[in-house]
Amino acid sequence: MVKVIKLSLLLCLISANYILSQTSQKFGLRDNTPNVFALKNATLIVSYQNIIDDATIVIRDGIIENVGNNIQIPDDAFEIDVEGNCIYPGFIDLYSDIGMPVIEKENEKESDLLNKKNGFSHRNPHVRSRYNASRHFKKEEAKVEKMRSQGFTVAHTIPPYGIFRGQTAIISLGKEETKDLLIKQNFSQAMSFQISKELNGDYPTSLMGVVALIRQTFHDAEWYYNAHKTYNQNPVGFKKPEKNFDLESLIDVLKQKQPATFSVDDEIALIRALNIADEFNIKLLIKASGKEYRRLETIKAGNFPLIVPLNFPENPEVDSFDDVIGLCLESLMHWELAPENPAKIYEAGIDMAITSDGTIDNESFLKQLRVAVQRGLPEYAAIKALTINPARLLQIDNTHGTLEKGKKANFFIANGNIFKPKTIIEEVWVNGKKYPAEKSYKSTPQGKWLLSINDTIDFELKLTGEKDNYEGKLVQDDKEFELKKTKFDNQRMHFIVNGIFDEEEVIRFSAQVSENLMYGTGEKTPGTFFNWKAQKIESIVENNEQDKDDTDKKAKESQNISTVLYPPMEYGIAKKPEQEKCLLIQDATLWTQSPKGIIKNGDILIKKGIIEKVGKNIDKPRNCKVLNIEGKHLTPGLIDPHLHTSIIGGANEFGSTIVPETRIKDVINPNNIWIYRLLAGGLTTTNILHGSVNPIGGQSAVIKTRWGNLPEDMIFEEAKPGLKMALGENVKRNQSSYPITRMGTEQIIRDAFQAALDYRTKREEKKKNGLPYRKDIQLEVLLEVLDGKRLVHAHAYRQDEMLMLIRLAEEFGFKIQTFEHTVEGYKIANILADHGVAAIVWTDWGGFKMEAYDATIYNARLLMEQGVLTSLHSDNTNLATRMHWEAGKIAGTGVNEVEAKNLITINPAKILGVDHLVGSLEAGKHADFVIWSDHPLKGFAYAKQTWVDGRKYFDRQEDQKKRKEVLRLKNELSNKVLNSN
Amino acid sequence: MISRRLYHLISLLILFFIISFYKIYSQPHSANNNYVAFTNGTVVTISGETIEEGTVVFKNGKITAVGNDIEIPEDANIIDISGKYLYPAMIHSGSHLGLIEVSMVRETVDVDEYGDINPNVRAEVAFNPGSRHIPLARDHGIAVAVVKPKGGLISGMAAAMLTDGWTWEDMVYKAPLAMVINWPSMNDVEKRNKAINELNETFQKARRYHIAKQASEKHFHPVDIRWEAMIPVLEKEIPIIINASEYRQIQAAIKWAEKQNLRIILSGVKDADMIINHLKDKDIPVIINSVFSGPSRKWESYDKTLSLPAKLNEANITFSISGETAASDLLRLPNHAAAAVAFGLPEKEALKSITLYPAEIFGIDNKLGSIEEGKDASFIIANGNLLHITTQIEQVYIKGIKTDMMNKHRLFYEKYREKYNGINK
Repeated sequence: MVKVIKLSLLLCLISANYILSQTSQKFGLRDNTPNVFALKNATLIVSYQNIIDDATIVIRDGIIENVGNNIQIPDDAFEIDVEGNCIYPGFIDLYSDIGMPVIEKENEKESDLLNKKNGFSHRNPHVRSRYNASRHFKKEEAKVEKMRSQGFTVAHTIPPYGIFRGQTAIISLGKEETKDLLIKQNFSQAMSFQISKELNGDYPTSLMGVVALIRQTFHDAEWYYNAHKTYNQNPVGFKKPEKNFDLESLIDVLKQKQPATFSVDDEIALIRALNIADEFNIKLLIKASGKEYRRLETIKAGNFPLIVPLNFPENPEVDSFDDVIGLCLESLMHWELAPENPAKIYEAGIDMAITSDGTIDNESFLKQLRVAVQRGLPEYAAIKALTINPARLLQIDNTHGTLEKGKKANFFIANGNIFKPKTIIEEVWVNGKKYPAEKSYKSTPQGKWLLSINDTIDFELKLTGEKDNYEGKLVQDDKEFELKKTKFDNQRMHFIVNGIFDEEEVIRFSAQVSENLMYGTGEKTPGTFFNWKAQKIESIVENNEQDKDDTDKKAKESQNISTVLYPPMEYGIAKKPEQEKCLLIQDATLWTQSPKGIIKNGDILIKKGIIEKVGKNIDKPRNCKVLNIEGKHLTPGLIDPHLHTSIIGGANEFGSTIVPETRIKDVINPNNIWIYRLLAGGLTTTNILHGSVNPIGGQSAVIKTRWGNLPEDMIFEEAKPGLKMALGENVKRNQSSYPITRMGTEQIIRDAFQAALDYRTKREEKKKNGLPYRKDIQLEVLLEVLDGKRLVHAHAYRQDEMLMLIRLAEEFGFKIQTFEHTVEGYKIANILADHGVAAIVWTDWGGFKMEAYDATIYNARLLMEQGVLTSLHSDNTNLATRMHWEAGKIAGTGVNEVEAKNLITINPAKILGVDHLVGSLEAGKHADFVIWSDHPLKGFAYAKQTWVDGRKYFDRQEDQKKRKEVLRLKNELSNKVLNSN
Repeated sequence: MISRRLYHLISLLILFFIISFYKIYSQPHSANNNYVAFTNGTVVTISGETIEEGTVVFKNGKITAVGNDIEIPEDANIIDISGKYLYPAMIHSGSHLGLIEVSMVRETVDVDEYGDINPNVRAEVAFNPGSRHIPLARDHGIAVAVVKPKGGLISGMAAAMLTDGWTWEDMVYKAPLAMVINWPSMNDVEKRNKAINELNETFQKARRYHIAKQASEKHFHPVDIRWEAMIPVLEKEIPIIINASEYRQIQAAIKWAEKQNLRIILSGVKDADMIINHLKDKDIPVIINSVFSGPSRKWESYDKTLSLPAKLNEANITFSISGETAASDLLRLPNHAAAAVAFGLPEKEALKSITLYPAEIFGIDNKLGSIEEGKDASFIIANGNLLHITTQIEQVYIKGIKTDMMNKHRLFYEKYREKYNGINK
């Protein structure tokens, strides 16, 4: 093993010397200046775990030749004494867009064959996996200099546009010729969930469309690989599969030969990326958002390395009452906790690298890095995350990441510990070449100087201030002269003084400054120049007293006011509400919504989230908690089978007409205050649906309102999968795409289902012959519908369109599960009953559009009278917080109260296929229930408590306390912002 | 088992009734000139105590007597309503009833005139008596609806309209009732300043016109119909309804009105809970738009708008609850009041906020808002507490006229019940 290393070391040395200049042509004289240096007397940070004092590092032709305490400095080395300085391994940035050009008209630059429509590239402009960062790299010296000045010597550069963004490259941040800068190309495939407007794509327009496109593209790449493999093994008798550079570029990702560098916007997006990685078994390098601390457990379980930014939020505006009113607790909490994100990730033991992304343009990287350390990230962990970790993740740790023998001479020299606030990076060395840090304030002229003019007249020069803002004076005995126009620029000091020699005259001073000396000239009278010099006698750089105060203040600041809540916002909870092992609720007016009807003075026994008994005078088991509710009404948790709440990135996919490939479950936002408000209204289960723009929309998701949980833990797993469809005005509104009539709507639905059937025929044929087939995630979903495995929830208003869809479904041999809205359902209630379709209706909504004009509040009553399974719905998150009153309205049309209540409990449960678990108070069902302040239908009732799975998620009394707590936190955090300026 | 023939006969009869219902659907009855007396009902007078087994007598559209032991005129038509509740008909404080039929069909929308300054447009002349939404509002107990134009800065003149009548002229209850101003959003400073400048300029022009008009014996000034329309506003004969929801808007509107010396009613007022003392000091009446609109800021409590009426009531601020503005949604008015009760408003106050308080705010309390002698004989007869959502309104009287209780909801119900009666035979 040791031998191998030595051998490779030797090879490295040789290659450094000879190979690099192989193909370049020389013009003029050859430059044969030796490049051998010995930096001595340094504090050398060899690696995050190895620091050597008084060390020497020898560099030969860009490679570290030797490192250590008492090493022999080669005779040919040029020695540099760096006493008092620290040498750190160069930082490596795992996420940068250095050298990536802004969007260009690609088709002009690349071959015609890459034309979207008939070339070798993917049909969708957001799929740019072929794009190659190394081929499009452009030198950006100004930005490189900024990165270098903050200690970076290597960057992993990522193409910035698209969903599949292209091949990334590893770039050296030196000033060599471009071809020498490239360390590695095609390192990873860059991915994101973002829709780059610059790419002018039609599809997708929604986040769920983005996820669908990613999934379909991976399936396509899988097919592409198999199809070409099969063809290449035996091309005889087969048509050659298409050539597609984009799909080809994804094969390495699928085969785990290449990771995908996935950039995400928040912790929920990160978890979404994990799900995709899981589905396609790919390796990820995740460019994190800075919000990981909010869901650390889940993120850790994903087991992928994180590239962590230091983009801590700026101070929010808190100066005025108006400012504070407009702020939400969520943003204030994030302001306070975000700087701890790197520390929390480290403490969780997640493999991490730190990126400068978001902190380079304003040159705040080092400042934020120090904040991260101050807020708990150990210094060695910070170094690790900036050096050897990224090197290892980029698979260049044999050449980069530490200052060990044989590695590249990539390092920076700082005048002290890099994590101390006033430490400055003086030089950065990349591949053995020295670069000054862009802005060095080390030779700050601040301090006391002894200034003498022509070696005769002495003054004391006092300079204060920093950066571009200096003040000073010249003092001689009891005389003081103000300095004017004091300026320090490029190591030149300038100022003007009045009346040193005579009363009136203006004397201009300029000097070259080097550390402790100034050598200057001035003009006494026109044409009479004088020389002056100054020697620093005292540094007044730091006021220790002040520093101590600062430290104290900071320590005080770092005591957090907020903690991580789930969700991380107002009304969030620290932990899941307890599930009672045994709970006996006594003296309730039980609306069982079962054959038992309403039980007065009833009891209900709950064990571990499941209802065990419902009845009267239930014996109290031993060790069972008792809750006597003194006759209050207790109903099953309410169910709203139609909502569009908590959807991230659009409820409709506008980019295409038929979009069953989209899935709500991919885009649920658990950080939505309305989930809490739904609980406050007694709602425990809902179906989140795709919008109604598409005749065939996306897949719906039945959830329970488990506030604080992640989407996957909110999903009601036992519910039957659903698919949204839509008819009528909404789907024909866009006049520039098919369909624009109800006639066309029928045809496009027919066409899609026919396509699904044909797809199945072809698929089965290929399967039979052992040939690869392209999995079509859109048509697979329609096959599920045709096979009765997925329920159709069809948005419809008018009777004609409902009848049309019923007949079409009958023709294709499937059943429509529900019509949604069903405004004219009462007109064909008998037909709905015959087909067995359920009706989801409003109480009194109507008249807002033509197809709603025949709405009647008696709709539900007529439908029920004809035996149609009927449910109420809100279609509106706000309305969904008061469904009990909606049921009350139906009772007002002459329906009996229990049946009216069924419309928001057991009936929607049946519709969603969960009536064996929820919707009524019966033994064996989930303990989802609401305790009301009054008769739940009549109008004066509010929910006192809402329980889901035997856990109390809402309690009005606790809510009263929580709202005070929210305001207290908000106020204290705002004040903390105020004091942190 | 009924014979087939009999069945057909009954069907025909019912069909006949439906056709006749259909004919009279939405059409008002003629006035009743005789005394009518309701007896033995629970009379919820609103202004006074609720009278158990009370009697209400009316004639020519006006209440002539209310009480327990009152003399019933001999020729009176006595209607026993024992077991029922009698309430004064409700007042809806602001909607687009009659001005919008189907909001997404442009041709049926007459609510927002071109331009930003429209003080001269009058809601009542575009009020469509044939609108399907009017009988719906009426049958749910609303006798008078305040109908408002919308849009721009000055939307126009609102009118109080009866929900029963043959023509808009018949149906005008009070017009012009108030001028409508939309307070600009406070977020975009530039836009806001521009709008407020325009508003100030408009009022200055109107004042210049008003002054010149009053002194025009010597000088001829041609009529400017915009400023002419604003004279009653300047003379404080009629108030301005200012739509303002956010607290900064409300504060700005109050300050502006004070400076301009105008009478205002604030409408919307979602943030009124944040400036309760202001409202109290200035004694400005407010109209709460919808208690269901919900909080708009994440940190706000879930019941912010539901508990707003209770908070205003505790502070003794004059308020009415208007429910929603959509023409099709007036029927929900009592639901809003009921929800306010759930969140702390005393039941009695909730009833007042949809009857007597709006009558007072709009200056029609001499005619409407309670069961008192001399007031309109506009009643609701219900089978229970009006605020209970499950309660059914059985009969509505508008100015002494027994309405037909036929609206589109009911009509479709009757029609299709008949369809199924036929099929299920």
